[in-house]
Amino acid sequence: MKISYEWLQDFIDLSIKPEELIYQLNRLGFMVEKVEEKEGDHVLEIETYANRPDTLGHLGIAREIAAALNLKLKEKSWPIKEAPILTSDLISIEISEPNLCSRYCGLVVREVKVGPSPDWLRRRLEKIGLRSINNVVDVTNYVLMATGHPIHAFDYQRLVGPRIVVRSARRGEKLRLLGGEIIELSPENLVIADAEKPIALAGIIGGEDSAVTNETTEIFIESAWFNPISIRRTRKHFGLDTDASYRFERGADINFPPIAAKMAASLLSEFGGQVTREMIDVYPIPYRPKEVLLRLSKVKDLLGVEIEGSFIHSLFQSLGFEIHSTTNLNFLVRVPSHRIDIEREADLIEEIARFYGYDQIPAVIPPLKVIEKIPNRRQSQLKKIRYLLHHLGFDEVLNFSFSDPDRERTFKTGLQPISLSNPLSLKASVLRTTLLGGLLENVAYNQKRGLESLRLFEIGNIYFWENNNPVEKLFLGLAINGWFDQPSWSHRGEKADFFHLKGALEVLLNELRYEPFVFSPGENNFFEPGYCLSLEIKGDRLGYLGKIKSEILREFDIEDEVYAAEINLTALLAKQPRPFNYIPVSRFPAIIRDLSFLVDKEIPYEEIRRSLFNLDLPYLESFDLIDRFTSPHLGEDQVSLTLRFVYRHPSRTLLAEEADKIDKRIIAYLRSNFQAKLREGGQN
Amino acid sequence: MKSLLEEIEACRLAFRQAIQRVKDRASLEEVRATFLGRKRGKVTALFEAFKNLPVEEKPFIGRELNNLKNELTAALEKKEAELIEVKKDKVERIDLTLPGKKRYLGSPHPITLFLEEIERIFLEMGFSIEEGPEIETDYYNFEALNFPPHHPARDSWDTLYIKNDLLLRTHTSPVQVRVMERQRPPIRIIVPGKVFRREAIDPTHLPMFYQVEGLVVDEGVTFAHLKGTLEYFLKALFGEKTKVRFRPSYFPFTEPSAEVDIECTVCRGNDSSCQVCGGSGWKEVLGAGMVDPQVLKNVNIDPERYSGWAFGLGIERTAMLLYGLNDMRLFYENDLRFLRQFRRK
Repeated sequence: MKISYEWLQDFIDLSIKPEELIYQLNRLGFMVEKVEEKEGDHVLEIETYANRPDTLGHLGIAREIAAALNLKLKEKSWPIKEAPILTSDLISIEISEPNLCSRYCGLVVREVKVGPSPDWLRRRLEKIGLRSINNVVDVTNYVLMATGHPIHAFDYQRLVGPRIVVRSARRGEKLRLLGGEIIELSPENLVIADAEKPIALAGIIGGEDSAVTNETTEIFIESAWFNPISIRRTRKHFGLDTDASYRFERGADINFPPIAAKMAASLLSEFGGQVTREMIDVYPIPYRPKEVLLRLSKVKDLLGVEIEGSFIHSLFQSLGFEIHSTTNLNFLVRVPSHRIDIEREADLIEEIARFYGYDQIPAVIPPLKVIEKIPNRRQSQLKKIRYLLHHLGFDEVLNFSFSDPDRERTFKTGLQPISLSNPLSLKASVLRTTLLGGLLENVAYNQKRGLESLRLFEIGNIYFWENNNPVEKLFLGLAINGWFDQPSWSHRGEKADFFHLKGALEVLLNELRYEPFVFSPGENNFFEPGYCLSLEIKGDRLGYLGKIKSEILREFDIEDEVYAAEINLTALLAKQPRPFNYIPVSRFPAIIRDLSFLVDKEIPYEEIRRSLFNLDLPYLESFDLIDRFTSPHLGEDQVSLTLRFVYRHPSRTLLAEEADKIDKRIIAYLRSNFQAKLREGGQN
Repeated sequence: MKSLLEEIEACRLAFRQAIQRVKDRASLEEVRATFLGRKRGKVTALFEAFKNLPVEEKPFIGRELNNLKNELTAALEKKEAELIEVKKDKVERIDLTLPGKKRYLGSPHPITLFLEEIERIFLEMGFSIEEGPEIETDYYNFEALNFPPHHPARDSWDTLYIKNDLLLRTHTSPVQVRVMERQRPPIRIIVPGKVFRREAIDPTHLPMFYQVEGLVVDEGVTFAHLKGTLEYFLKALFGEKTKVRFRPSYFPFTEPSAEVDIECTVCRGNDSSCQVCGGSGWKEVLGAGMVDPQVLKNVNIDPERYSGWAFGLGIERTAMLLYGLNDMRLFYENDLRFLRQFRRK
């Protein structure tokens, strides 16, 4: 909102410099966002607040400054040239919705010459960014900007009756608005009507057919109070945001309509107008002033500083509050009708703090009282996951939660996406059901910028409907592409492949002790058939990893392969990690045996590994696959696997004969269960 | 049969010839074995023969034998040292200035980094971390926080809706309510998380961003504590010399409410055309206030006995100030050349 320094002088005698005014306004919470110098005046752009409609005009700002600087508001009289006729002889006013319009004042100004505004009026409006239209419209705008109270002017001769009815619109009634747009009304809309039809959308905008024109000579001035919620609903419904609706929906001062009408009448008198006697004031629900008890003890309790009663007393007086001092400790305060924001003691305390100065309240670090901490295992686990992934060479990315419904459909995640009812764009109109879309976009983006080694992860929610409930689940997404290890002077480099990704996940799960975990062949729409594993813990499927399908990569315009994984962290973190057990370290030497076998290529290694693991062989400390190769010499369908077994006795040196025995058991077991043949010379 | 003395001399000559031919370590060891080897060494054999000599010859021959052995040992040692010298001269030097063999370490996203930093400061002050859902009901996002239906204040929190009552939370404040519902004071928490607004993307606006919410509820909590704690926090984050300003504002869920500015990190108030602060010298970083008594009542906490303060901080906006960035979109472009610059302290 724009405030002119010069205009403020109408209400208070300001002797301070504009800089000082800005400082005072900022201190009171009215942030001055811009200052313009115009014709020797300073025009300030001020931030406004939804709860302070009383400050949406020069008068309200003047009140604040007056209280801050201990000034008195000027009394201003509004002389009127009266016509020898009563208002009620010319028009009748009726309110049929007293809850929606609790006060309606009106008067008629006759013999007005509509024409250009005088210089002083035009300049004032133009300075604060309004266009001068004609003297009548300018007067309504002037009253609005001066006092914050919206009024409206009708062409009296175009009112049928002449009668004003404030009522709900009838279904199907139409109204042509100022500017020509025709709207169709419904009973939810409050209108100003004449004897026949709606002539204005109450408190929002006037109708074209009753508007003041250059031919107008008699003017009906409306100054009313409308229900904020009703105004807001109608304003939102029609998308009509006007200066009037802005103020009425925040709450106007119900005591102000007669004053605003009088101001307008006085100004119109200057343009030759004659004002009807005895303004009509329909006021079905009189205002009951609010009274609030203020305890000085509570001021100190809330602000943490002792503020003298005399300061509080004079502050509220200068803000126009009536004070009934009940005791030394309490004030009973009667709130002026324009302060719709003040209802409770806390609201009064805010006023005290504002004028006392936030900068005058001390900054105190409270004594650190020990409060039992709420443990947050999820947070600490997530932190650990991030650190581990950084160590594994993964960079963290963050993507928006929004997605394109078409894209979600092509992903076929099988989850029902959640749509937004008022999205900003179609491309961001659903919530993502997977993290992989974002990650693939990140791969494409960075690949195009010449990055040849990509290892990315994101931790974030995915969203979907489940049994008509919105569900959000925390997921971990991983994607690798390009070099796993860039070529350098010391080695030739290594391209990222599936096993790099799998290895990273294995390290992660081992470190977090979510064990035992199982990878088994899986199927998922993101991954090439036969190139996908699912991750399971205790029978629950927690995610997938694999090679992204080439048609998906084409869609993202990605070159070469991407290996990706998606893990349900909500489910993973709900699992109990394997408890930590210390295993005593044997001081005795190990016997290490490498055994090479020929097995059928079709047998998954994991099967061999798991069955050996389950054999529970004595003294077997660990075993690993240290070599694997195929060769025409071995036969087309055969693969050579070399396993390294480490045997150790916990309390003595293991004998070679004992190791031989275990070797034999292994060889026999693999032979009978997997038709594995010990390779010639394979035993060292 | 030669006398033992002659054999000693012959052995000496043979050794001198042999040692001259030595070119490397292997042949040196061969020579050593030939002459001094424990089983078949020539000198060892001479010592064996020495044992059978008549007692009167022993002192003289013994001296000669020891001389021989000493000479051989010394010669071998000398040769060995020579060989090492030669090796040092001949072997190619390693260029130690070649780059080390490195492993790439991933980097945290700057938002995560910044959140960690904020969390650390508050955890040290004894706060706990709480979280809450991103999809919220109107009740938690607005009504319980003292936004009545149809209140114009809702306009400042431009909302993305899913359906009537269901929305994407516009701030982390709903978590305040959720925590207060299940926990009695004293409460001291921070709440990091994603929030959503119906705003088009531009350099200073995003439809999704991060916030950190803070809430303290206890007996005897005052506005002075709010000031003290937030001032401490902002100085810990931006540096001890940072100037902090509190000014009145309005939020439905706090009363009194404040907005908190820090001195512009770029111009320090000395440039009236500063792009970052618009010349005002101040930059708004967070909103705060004393918890509105109605909010406490909504969760059955007696505002006569307890009071509290809360704050909310926009992460991207603040991180931009700290890192000197001018475009918020950078955080979500995920350009690794940008992201990889951010490392933990």
